[in-house]
Amino acid sequence: MRVTGATLEELFRDSLLGMVALADPVSSAERRALRREIALESGDATALLVDFLNEALALMHTDREAYTDVAFHSLAERSLQATLEGYRAESFGEDIKAVTYHEADVNRAATGAWETIIVFDI
Amino acid sequence: MNRSGIAPIRIDTVLRENKLMFDLSRLERVSACLWEIPKSFRDDMRVPARIYSSEAMLKEIVRDRSIEQLINVATLPGIALWALAMPDAHEGYGFPVGGIAAFDAQHGVISPGGIGYDINCGVRVLRSSLKKEDVLPHLRNLSRTLFAEVPSGVGRGGRLAFRGPDLDAVLVRGARRMFELGYATEDDLAHTESEGALPGADPAFVSEQAKSRGHDQLGTMGAGNHFVEVGYVEQIFDAEAAEKLGLCADRVTVLIHTGSRGFGHQVATDHIRVMNRAMPRYKIELPDRELACVPFDSEEGRQYFAAMQAAANFAWANRQLITHEVREAFRKVFSDGALSLVYDVAHNIAKLEEYRIGPVSKRLVVHRKGATRAFPGQPVLIPGSMGTTSYILLGQQASLEASFGSSCHGAGRRMSRTQARKDFNPAALRDDLAKQGIVVNAGSGRGLVEEAPLAYKDVDAVVNVVHEAGIAKKVVRLRPLVVVKG
Repeated sequence: MRVTGATLEELFRDSLLGMVALADPVSSAERRALRREIALESGDATALLVDFLNEALALMHTDREAYTDVAFHSLAERSLQATLEGYRAESFGEDIKAVTYHEADVNRAATGAWETIIVFDI
Repeated sequence: MNRSGIAPIRIDTVLRENKLMFDLSRLERVSACLWEIPKSFRDDMRVPARIYSSEAMLKEIVRDRSIEQLINVATLPGIALWALAMPDAHEGYGFPVGGIAAFDAQHGVISPGGIGYDINCGVRVLRSSLKKEDVLPHLRNLSRTLFAEVPSGVGRGGRLAFRGPDLDAVLVRGARRMFELGYATEDDLAHTESEGALPGADPAFVSEQAKSRGHDQLGTMGAGNHFVEVGYVEQIFDAEAAEKLGLCADRVTVLIHTGSRGFGHQVATDHIRVMNRAMPRYKIELPDRELACVPFDSEEGRQYFAAMQAAANFAWANRQLITHEVREAFRKVFSDGALSLVYDVAHNIAKLEEYRIGPVSKRLVVHRKGATRAFPGQPVLIPGSMGTTSYILLGQQASLEASFGSSCHGAGRRMSRTQARKDFNPAALRDDLAKQGIVVNAGSGRGLVEEAPLAYKDVDAVVNVVHEAGIAKKVVRLRPLVVVKG
């Protein structure tokens, strides 16, 4: 998945929503809304993004959650605090098993936009 | 039921199909089936990189970045003799799949990338008392019954759930725990690599998330390239060895290919994170972050090794419980559930083994990622793709000197899953397999086409390389009749 964002926040948000879209969640018509708090520290922006997505992925697997938005209370290149918003999913159409570092590199393009590639182990 | 209403996001998949990623002229030929990239090729290489392959198969291997990845592996601290790739090599995460690297236990590293996310993904083969003609009239019924008995597919849990001390007992005792619960025989354990339990497993170094992901996954196949396949002995290459394994012409066999499911993936993810944070402390710099590693003899190294062994034991328990389910299916269809385990091998694992390096004997942490242990006299199981043959070989003495007691593990992908989805059609593939007399029962058409035979290399050519190199000798070839997958 190739992701770009005008800001770091946009890059992280779209990476999360892209991953959830790829996982293809199925839910009943009546969705129960839920929130999740996440706080992470990592070595750099790439590690932070991979850790963020892996943390969300683990919750998707263990608690069958699908996320529709994220609010960042703080987001720097090495740490974040966020609230994930979503709903309980009944199942997923695609088995994303892990978020890898393969080709991942959060960087700023000449245009000033943030970008990276994210490869999922499926 | 509604699909999620998440706003659509543009997703570009990244492909590099049909480009040559390495200049073949840079390879030096060591022997008919062995090629070398000398240490001088790149300044940071600590040992040469070696590839077991025929000349023709090299052209497949250089279509992706597996050789570049192998060169990266050759730069890791404490690597012994060579970084090795087998003929089924293809691009993985960090290390190539079909790769072997051994590191000095005292001065070298351990790397989850050299083992793979699916820790102890592996394969086992069972033999039945039935012959091909006994099962031919029942293929559809057998296929449906196996599909019902062995849970498969995305997020599908098993019949049993293990939590707390019950799950820890599985992580410590692996397949033996399944014996204690009545799902295995002593004979099953005797025919499993390491008797289905590694002694260094410690659940204390496994996260609660991993335990939660795995609690209901025992006895499940999962999706992807995992399968249960019923076949028969089509060709015998070594009659004496075949007889010792209880195999004769037309004998019906069952192959089971799966691993540690989400549990193993979470263990790998958790410890890659720990290692990424620890590496600066050990002054380890890498050409690829998926090679994340720490000294084997370090707190982080010991903890990962203990967690990896717990995941390996989980996988052996998983294949054992699936064996029980397959026996139930055979009992329902044939009133005969007698299936004896020929052997079970891991092909994603790290093990402490002793090898002679020059005049001295050394303890090495042998990483096999998409590679099968091939100790002298040990059965080596090489499944082909769905619709093609599989092989049983016997490991040879030469493997100890040539490949850290290791062989290839399968046909090896020649095409990404994404590309296979574009190139193949489920209905046409089912028709094609049906024409070959193969009944397929798959949970999803998408999953089916990802595993199309043409997405894989020619397994006959792959196996011929290890046979000719003297690493393992061909015993029998199996042909599929029924393939069940998630």
